[in-house]
Order: sequence, then C-alpha cells, then structure tokens
Amino acid sequence: MAQPLVKKDDDRDDEEYSPFLGIEKGAVLQEARVFNDPQLDARRCSQVITKLLYLLNQGESFTKVEATEVFFSVTKLFQSRDIGLRRMVYLIIKELSPSADEVIIVTSSLMKDMNSKTDMYRANAIRVLCRITDGTLLTQIERYLKQAIVDKNPVVASAALVSGIHLLQTNPEIVKRWSNEVQDAVQSRAALVQFHAVALLHQIRQNDRLAVSKLVTSLTRGTVRSPLAQCLLIRYTSQVIRESGNVQTGDRPFYDYLEGCLRHKSEMVIFEAARAITELHGVTPRELTPAITVLQLFLSSSKPVLRFAAVRTLNKVAMTHPVPVTNCNIDMESLISDQNRSIATLAITTLLKTGNESSVDRLMKQITNFMSDIADEFKIVVVEAIRSLCLKFPLKFRALMNFLSNILREEGGFEYKKAIVDSIVILIRDIPDAKESGLLHLCEFIEDCEFTYLSTQILHFLGIEGPKTSDPSKYIRYIYNRVHLENATVRASAVSTLAKFGALVDSLKPRVFILLRRCLFDSDDEVRDRATLYLNTLGGDGSVVETDNDVKDFLFGSLDVPLVNLEASLKNYEASEEPFDIKSVPKEVKSQPLAEKKAQSKKPTGLGAPPTGPASTVDAYETLLSSIPEFSNFGKLFKSSAPVELTEPETEYAVNVVKHIFDSHVVFQYNCTNTIPEQLLEDVIVVVDASEAEEFSEVASRSLRSLPYDTPGQTFLAFEKPEGVPAVGKFTNLLRFIVKEVDPTTGEAEEDGVEDEYQLEDLEVVAADYILKVPVFNFKNAWESMGADFERVDEYGLGPRENLTEAVNAVISLLGMQPCEGTEVVASNSRSHTCVLSGVYIGNVKVLVRLLFGIDSSSKEVAMKLAVRSEDGAVSDAIHEIVASG
Amino acid sequence: MILAVLFANSEGNILVERFNGVPAEERLHWRSFLVKLGADNLRGVKNEELLVACHKSVYIVYTVLGDVSIYVVGKDEYDELALSEVIFVITSAVKDVCGKPPTERLFLDKYGRICLCLDEIVWKGLLENTEKDRIKRLIRLKPPTEF
Repeated sequence: MAQPLVKKDDDRDDEEYSPFLGIEKGAVLQEARVFNDPQLDARRCSQVITKLLYLLNQGESFTKVEATEVFFSVTKLFQSRDIGLRRMVYLIIKELSPSADEVIIVTSSLMKDMNSKTDMYRANAIRVLCRITDGTLLTQIERYLKQAIVDKNPVVASAALVSGIHLLQTNPEIVKRWSNEVQDAVQSRAALVQFHAVALLHQIRQNDRLAVSKLVTSLTRGTVRSPLAQCLLIRYTSQVIRESGNVQTGDRPFYDYLEGCLRHKSEMVIFEAARAITELHGVTPRELTPAITVLQLFLSSSKPVLRFAAVRTLNKVAMTHPVPVTNCNIDMESLISDQNRSIATLAITTLLKTGNESSVDRLMKQITNFMSDIADEFKIVVVEAIRSLCLKFPLKFRALMNFLSNILREEGGFEYKKAIVDSIVILIRDIPDAKESGLLHLCEFIEDCEFTYLSTQILHFLGIEGPKTSDPSKYIRYIYNRVHLENATVRASAVSTLAKFGALVDSLKPRVFILLRRCLFDSDDEVRDRATLYLNTLGGDGSVVETDNDVKDFLFGSLDVPLVNLEASLKNYEASEEPFDIKSVPKEVKSQPLAEKKAQSKKPTGLGAPPTGPASTVDAYETLLSSIPEFSNFGKLFKSSAPVELTEPETEYAVNVVKHIFDSHVVFQYNCTNTIPEQLLEDVIVVVDASEAEEFSEVASRSLRSLPYDTPGQTFLAFEKPEGVPAVGKFTNLLRFIVKEVDPTTGEAEEDGVEDEYQLEDLEVVAADYILKVPVFNFKNAWESMGADFERVDEYGLGPRENLTEAVNAVISLLGMQPCEGTEVVASNSRSHTCVLSGVYIGNVKVLVRLLFGIDSSSKEVAMKLAVRSEDGAVSDAIHEIVASG
Repeated sequence: MILAVLFANSEGNILVERFNGVPAEERLHWRSFLVKLGADNLRGVKNEELLVACHKSVYIVYTVLGDVSIYVVGKDEYDELALSEVIFVITSAVKDVCGKPPTERLFLDKYGRICLCLDEIVWKGLLENTEKDRIKRLIRLKPPTEF
C-alpha cells in the first residue's frame, strides 16, 4: 500500500503531500452518499469515484454490502449530464463488477446509452454491458452489437470487437454468429479496428483448419494496415505452415509472405517474421540466413527490448542450428557488457552453444570478467551452459573445470553453489580424465563450505569415487578435517566416508582405524555411534559382519528396501522391548502416482541424483525380483525396460509393464493401479496368450492379492526362453480379477465379489530389449581398440523416408543402443550422415556400431551401410540380423 | 494477454495495479517480484528507457517516468515487443495527462484521469487504443478526430 509521504522540505509542502493522505475506506464510503443528492455536484462526485478507484487499485476489497450500496448510489449518477462524470461512472461500474441480480438496475440506462446518438456513449455502454452481462441479456443486445461492429466510428467498432473476443470465452455460440460483420470489419480502413477484427475472426475460426488457411491466404494477399495486425497474421501464417505438415515445394506463398515481412518498415513486424522463420519445422540454412541477418542487426539496436528479443531468438536457434548463428558471434560478444544482465546472460549462453573447440579458452576469459557482476540466477544459467559445453568438448575439460573451481571459491548462494558442484560431479562421472582434479576441487571447496547439505553430499560422493583413484590417501586429510571443524551432521558424514576408504583401501585401513577411534570421543552421539559401528564392522570380531564382502555390502550396497517403505515402517514402530526388524519392511516398490511422475524434472542432476540414477531403478528391480522366491534362481538381471503403458490414460485401471531380461528368462512386471474409489480388486493377475511368441514358455506367475483404490500394486509373470538367445515375440494381455463394491462412506468392501476381465494392449519383446545402452566417451578409440577381428559390414536399403533424421531415429530405436558424441542429431536437410552407437549385448558382450546414411534427393530413398564391431562374431552377426529383419 | 499493468512510486509502494487472468493468490507474488525487479535495475535509468526480462513464457517490460515506475507483464502474443508498444502508449498518455514526467504528487493529482487512460488502453488484458491524442479525446467522451 502506498504510504503518505513525509514532508521533506518546508518550501515544497504543496508538492509533497499526497491527495490521498490518510484515505480510509469507511470515510470514502460515507462520502459516496453525495451520489444520492438531489442536486448532483459533478466535480465532487468525480473526486469520490477517483478515491474509490484508488482504494480498489490498492487491492482494497469491499464487502458485498458495501459494494452493493456503492453500486446503487453510482447508478443514480446516470441522471447527470456531465460528460466527465459519465466517463467515470462507466469505469467505476466495471471496477465494482456488480453481481447478476444487481446488473438489472443499470441495464436500462446502459441500453439507452447503447442507442444514443453520441458515439462515445455507445462505445462505452457496449464495453460496460459486455463486462457485466450474462448470456440471457446478451441475446437481447446482440442486434446492437452486430451493428456496432460495422459502425463507422472506429472506437465503437473496436469496443464491440474487443467485447466479442471476451464474450467468445463465455458465449461462443452467439459470437460465432457475427462472422459476417467481423469479416467486414477486417476490411476496415481504421488500423486498430482491423487488428481487433483479425484477432476475433481467427478466434472464431480457430478450430477449423481450412477456414484459418483461407483467412490467412486472403489476408496475406490484401493490405493489412496495422503492424499489430500484421504480427498476428505472421503468427497465423506460421501456424498454417506448421499444420500443413509437409514442407511446401515449388510455389510457397506462405513462406514468401514471411520473407517479405522481413522488409517491413515496422521493427515489430520484422522481428515477428524473423522469429516465425527460425521456428519453422525443417527450416534450411538458406531460409534461415535472411532471418538471422535481421536479428543480427537488432543485436546492435539502441533499444534494449529489440536487443533482448533478438538475442533470445538467436539463443533458441543456436540449440538446433548453431552454425548459421556463428555469424553473429562478434555482435554477441559485445553484448556481454550490456547493461541489461538478461541480455548479457543470453549472449553468453548463446556463444557457449555456437562456440567451437578453439574458441573455448577465449570465451572463458570473457565470462570470468562477466560473472562477478551478475546475479546468482543468471550465473546458474551460465554454469549449466558451461557444463553442456564441457560434455560437448571433453578435451577442454581442464579449462572448464578450472573455471568451475574458481567460481566455486567466490561468493554465492546455495542454489548457485549447488549448480556448480552438480556440474563438477557430472563432469567427473562422464569424463574419466577429469576425475582426480575434480575430486580435489570438491575437497578444497568443503574446506570452506557454509552449506551442510553440499558438504555431506560431497563427502558421500568422495567415499564412492575417492578410494578408486590412484592415490586415495591424499583425500583423507580433507575428510578428517571435517571431523574437527564442522557441525555434527557433516562430522557424521565424514566418519562414514572415512570408513569407506578403510574398507576399500587395505593400505589405509590401520590409519583410518586410528582416526575412527578418535571420533569415539565426539560430543555428538550420532558421530560416536557411527564410529563405533564402523570400527566393529571393519575390524570387528565377526559379530556384526563376517567377511570382507559383507563389509563392502554393508557400506556400499544399496538398502534392499525402498526408502519410502522403511520410513513408513519406522513411523509405525512403537518403542518396545522388541527391536525394530528391517526384514519386516515390505520390499514391494510402489509405483509412483502419475502426478509425481510428471513433476519430476528431466534435467540432469549431479549430487541430487547419484550416478546410479538409472541404475538405482535397476537395483531396486533386482532387489524386488530376488525377493520373490519363484524368480530368485533366474541369475543376474541383465536389463529392465522402461515401463510400457498397456492402457489408455484415464481409464478405470491403469496398467504398465516392465520387461526384465535374464539370461534364460524374461519376467513381466505389471504395475496396476485401480482408479475407481468404489471398487476393491482382488486376486489380480494378467493372463497372457503367448501363441505369437513361440520360443517363450510360461514358468511362473505371482498374482496380486488385493488392489485397493489408488494404491499401485504388482503382478508378475515369468517365461523361459533359450539361454542367451534374443528371442522375440508378441503377447496378448488380459487383466483378470475379482471386483468388490466399496462403501464410500465407511471404506469397507462387500464380502462377495464378481469375477471380471479387462482387455489390455499387446506387448512385444523386441531385439532392443537384449541390448543395454552403455555410452563410450571416445568412440574412435573404442572402435580402434576393439579391432576388426569380428567386424561385419553390410549395406541395406531403408526405402523412401521423409528425411535422414527419421531414418537415423528408426535404426537407433530398432537397435536400442546408445548414440555417442551427439551423432544422433542430423544437420537439417543434409544428404548424408554418420551415426555411431555403443551398447552391451546380452551375455555382456560389448558392441560398437557405425552407421553411414545417404538419401537420394529426388526419390528420398535411404541407403545405409552398417559396420559392427564386437567381442564376439556371433553378436556382430546378430546385430545385422536385427537390422535385416527389422 | 496482458497479465498486469502496475505503477509504483520510487519507494516501491503500489499506486495502481491491474491484473487480468492472474489468480488472486498469485498477485501478491507478482507485485513483490516486480517491485524487486525495479529496485534492482531501475536505479539511474533514464525516463522511458525500457528494460526487459522474461520468466518462463511470461515477458516483463518496465521503465521509469518521473517518480513513477511502470511495469507491464504479458504472455503469448504480448511478447516483449508488443509490450514495449503497450508501455509506450501508457507512458505517452501519462505524460500527456500530467504535462510532463510526473512527480508522485502530480501523478496522484491526476489519478482519476490516468485510470481512465488505462481503461482506454488495456481492456481486460487486450490492447485497445494506441494513440495518445485519441485517448485524450476518448476520456472526455469525444470522438476521435479522424472520424
């Protein structure tokens, strides 16, 4: 709320006092009684309305009684002939937004004004009526509105058109009847009327593709006066191009129109056209060039808004077409010092996307100066861009890692520091050479880290990665310092990390023992407890764990129960003589509710999601499957697929399936959710017809005893297949269960149930299920070192394809292998492409694939040369087999 | 859609705020976000020099006019360039009503008229009028001159 200003200077006291000094709602409402005077004082009434507006604009609200009283008083002001007052009355009625039963009081006055000879009364009455009216009244005034749309006075026409845009949301049927009048208004000579008419006409026809296409065709041929309308037209044109799907060939009127707009005199139109062109699907470098040229000119504009718009657009283009944007690099570099930090940050991140390996060092120098004077939120964006750059050019990791460690030492908030630490962790994980230096940077950081969360996360990470380095002893000092200098949480983490070093590095074990023994005297019980526990596990008498492997399992193994279940069990545990038994915690993984799944971010995270990110699900699956006796002898789990949905979204029962591949078995895990609150399902099982999967024979199944509403559960089915063979097949699925009615008030189910079935989608086991996506970081080296002993090369015709991207994606998904070095991205409209893939074939055989694609420009026929190298000739043949039969 | 038009004084107190299509519970958040944005960036900025920011798919264009800072927030078709058009109309109309870039006192003195101008410029989130001379006539219920 605005506070009355204090007097600053005696000479200027008139200047300094607010006319609303000490304004108070109660007093203003009292003053509003002047509206009821038989002799209206127009000036005074206007002043009171201004005060009411001031209160409303400050966020003050009126009670229902207050608002009604003011509204009724205001309606009396229609008696006044004062023009200024009438204008204020129109405004205050809109602001008070009276309820439906009150509107009736003012309707007749407004209807009278709507037919007034004074144009401006008509325009304002239309706006007020449309704001406060409901459907029934609208049919009464529809005739006048239609007339108003084609009124000679542009203000009246605009008022009716804009009202139409608003009314379309609530009464679409009525507004759609105005098409003809709106069509006339589109031809209006008044620029704004045309703008509003184009917007309304498009909204009326937006669900009719053909009509929109016709509208755009006629408008692009005619004259559009207002730049604002032109911008709308550009948007509609690109919508038509997008929806027509295929790339236009030969005569391309719509694209030509967009390109023509690049030469418009209004900057707004030029920019809109440039952006529309850059966002076209499958845009060629030749088409991009003129658009990028005008955007480049805007980069050096004196108007910050234009610079911002241009750099923002170029930033987007750089994600898909970095090469054409490189022409703007010089202009972009000068924007690094732009006063507007949003512009500077966008310029930096664009440069990071367009830069090549040789420009990295120079760029880093510029960024270093820039970082000191921007806010944390911008710094985070830059850090994320640097992380992507480093993954793109792994050889440059030294410069980039140094940069990250430097900014890590500077001032910054938690989110910023977390972004840096996450980036370093990701680089350590993905670039093996960066490991040792990265770990040392992290160690230095925790020496002076004010964030407990980050310290504990780094200590945990150190415990996993540190012992595997060439000289683990150098990290001990940093870890042990934490025991002396930090709070209890960090100290406890440090103790755990020390224990991990002790367990993995035999030469360090005695010294770690000495350090752990010192921790026995810590002031915090958690720290002491951990030290005691680890001393007993690592060097104990066998009472806690028996072998070295047990120790490692204990320290590094994942908890074999889901954390959520453990938490729930602990909450339910009541302190008693009987100790808590971890074996009592249920091991079944609850699948996530849909909302949570959607909420999950897809961004790569560092410490937040440990390296076992995807693997942890595999771990969880492995633990889950091994806990089921029927499947416990299937051996090691090779691969678990992503869940495949077997039901449409929002059906009564939601079922998806995860395919678990073992050496000679396949297990289907059906995750079922019952979405009907009035039902309880029991004895749920999926009945599978495997007649189209000849090599599979069903060996075991496990039904789900009970499936209450919104509590996901699993049922399993296991098949035997020939050992090590990538057998494929198709399975039809039927969900069978007993359904019981549930009383919604008590939540209790009836005793008797009815057997029922529910048809699910079919499921296929494909060749890709037998290949693990495992990346290699330097494909060339891996390819060379694999050798040509088991290399198999052949050529294939892939038939006509839309473009190379489609062909490349099809082969990648057929093989289910990991694309390396970003080769899955095909430069737009290119005629040939090389893509490299890596993976591990069932039986743990490494496979590398090199694909060469070529497309015939006229027939669109795609040819592919496939070269496979692996550690086993049979596997190389198998890959060819998959492609040949796919 | 123009989501918000907001005027604040140099201390960050709100003089006018008009939201369109913004849920009531989010308004307070927007208000404090905009005021902070202004406090961080508007110091030393010349009259009517435009500053721009975007947050996800929402754009913000803001400036200073005399003692008053003005913020316009939009999305979809009201991107940074369309908003700069909107804020240009607003600043010209305010200058026209006040006769110069206003002090806070002058702004409050002309409060009623400024509200009327805003009513002519932005109507429930859509840009309605763009010429200051026409707006000047419209708030006095006079038809536009070209008519």
